[in-house]
Amino acid sequence: MAAFGSETNLAVSSTLSAAAQLPTTNRTRPRSPDFPLPKALRIQGKEGILFIAGIILLWQFVSTAIHFSGKYLFPSPVLTARTLWASLPELLLGTGYSFLILLPSLVFAILLGVAWGLVVGTTPALNRMFSPFARFASPVPPTIYIPYAIALLPTFRTAAGFVVFIGVFWPVFLNTANGAGALPQHYRDNARILGLEKTEYLRRVVFPATLPYIFSGISVGLVFAFIMLTVAELFGASNGLGRFVQLYADYADYPRMVAGILYTGVVVWISMEVLERIKKRALFWLK
Amino acid sequence: MSAAFVSEPATPQGRLGIEVQALQFAYNDAPVLVDINLNVAEGEFVCLLGPSGCGKTTLLRLIAGLDLPATGAIFCNGSAIQGPSLERGVVFQNYSLFPWLTLAQNIELALSKSHPQHDKHWRHKYAEDCLARVGLAESASQYPSLLSGGMQQRGAIARALALGSPVLLMDEPFGALDPINRAKLQDVVLEVWAKPRKTVVFVTHDVEEALYLADRVVMLGSSPGRIIQEIVVPFGRPRSRQLFKSREFGVLCERIDEHFREDILQRIEADSGIDAYREVN
Repeated sequence: MAAFGSETNLAVSSTLSAAAQLPTTNRTRPRSPDFPLPKALRIQGKEGILFIAGIILLWQFVSTAIHFSGKYLFPSPVLTARTLWASLPELLLGTGYSFLILLPSLVFAILLGVAWGLVVGTTPALNRMFSPFARFASPVPPTIYIPYAIALLPTFRTAAGFVVFIGVFWPVFLNTANGAGALPQHYRDNARILGLEKTEYLRRVVFPATLPYIFSGISVGLVFAFIMLTVAELFGASNGLGRFVQLYADYADYPRMVAGILYTGVVVWISMEVLERIKKRALFWLK
Repeated sequence: MSAAFVSEPATPQGRLGIEVQALQFAYNDAPVLVDINLNVAEGEFVCLLGPSGCGKTTLLRLIAGLDLPATGAIFCNGSAIQGPSLERGVVFQNYSLFPWLTLAQNIELALSKSHPQHDKHWRHKYAEDCLARVGLAESASQYPSLLSGGMQQRGAIARALALGSPVLLMDEPFGALDPINRAKLQDVVLEVWAKPRKTVVFVTHDVEEALYLADRVVMLGSSPGRIIQEIVVPFGRPRSRQLFKSREFGVLCERIDEHFREDILQRIEADSGIDAYREVN
């Protein structure tokens, strides 16, 4: 029966799909280390915190050492923290503006990337039709579209939304199509034995089976979304996180600028953590 | 052949359940199955017995309609098989259940196609009934990955049962199980087979399993896969495991082994014959 098509691989050689690997396991099994840390540093699960503390210490040291050249170009951690606290209302508002552009584009790109990826990955004819184009279009660094998007589209919001969409769509689509194309034979067999129709097959079998790949794509896409958005905001926003950094760079207010960079890092990190939680919950069935 | 090995026909009517005619199947030009002719009566329990690589799983997939033969035809209840159908339920060696659905949801998904006239509530009740029949009443809301291999296979059998297919195809369903679970599940299969009576084609490489379960054992040889012998199992039903100790059972096992040995020997001789011919030329 050709209804489900055969396994097809959308062989797009691109960094976007390179990250698409099935998470091998969800279990974290304690493993004896190959190179144990010295005893003084061995605090269970605290190695990461120790490393960050070390970086901050180094930062403090360097900023004190180069004090003469102007503390405002290389602000100390303490000054940055104080500035961050003072700028928090402005930063939170900027986050709100940024997310107003980011979220709709992100959601739309994920929905379209997943839906189209599932269909293309399971339909050889569509795959043959679409993959040459995808092979050409997906490796184009999406930041390159920004100036033209801003020129072409009526408002900054639509331009930024468009480039975020491009940045998210390709990794999500490529990973989904690859995952759907590499669907294990036994899932197909079972679906055929049960007599599932194509839409049911996509919804109840291919989609859940492809979820590990889809989440790989979304992880890459989310990082791209932030890159695209902040870069776009550097170009021509009137508010948002990227705009915050650019504005204070223009005013040579580097403590605020560094605070903005740090704050953006935290926002991206929290977003990734949230995604990780959702992924763990959705992939509960993976052994 | 002694009279002891002859039994009465599986069904009084003797109607054909599955008919395989002059079937050939090749994979990438390498012949997997050649010249397969096989009739399975309605309600008969047939075991396909053979070593790994003899094409018994391929034959089962062809009967299921998951693959289509290069030449020859397969008929199920009189009509040619074009693809999978709810008429033929399948239990695979493992992976019959979708890991992202609970046992009950797996069966409800199957029921949504086989019993579309019933509502969700009915399907859930019926799924629970089917699970209860295979001893999984307590596990309806469990996910397969949390269950043992034996319980997963019970779930797969429950799903096949729920479909209500008159034909049941089983591909080494207990191949990965320990002996105790294997024995328990063999009895579950016999029970499911009996009511309501179904046609079963059961693939195995275990001689004792085949003799314990089947009305008839079809022996397949390898390279390429073909039927080397059919043996009607002379034991009445219900069967008990005491059967394994009987002299007759031992003799039959021995006879089956002898057939396989002979076939392997013939193959080796035939192959070396070809080599000798090549050397001469």
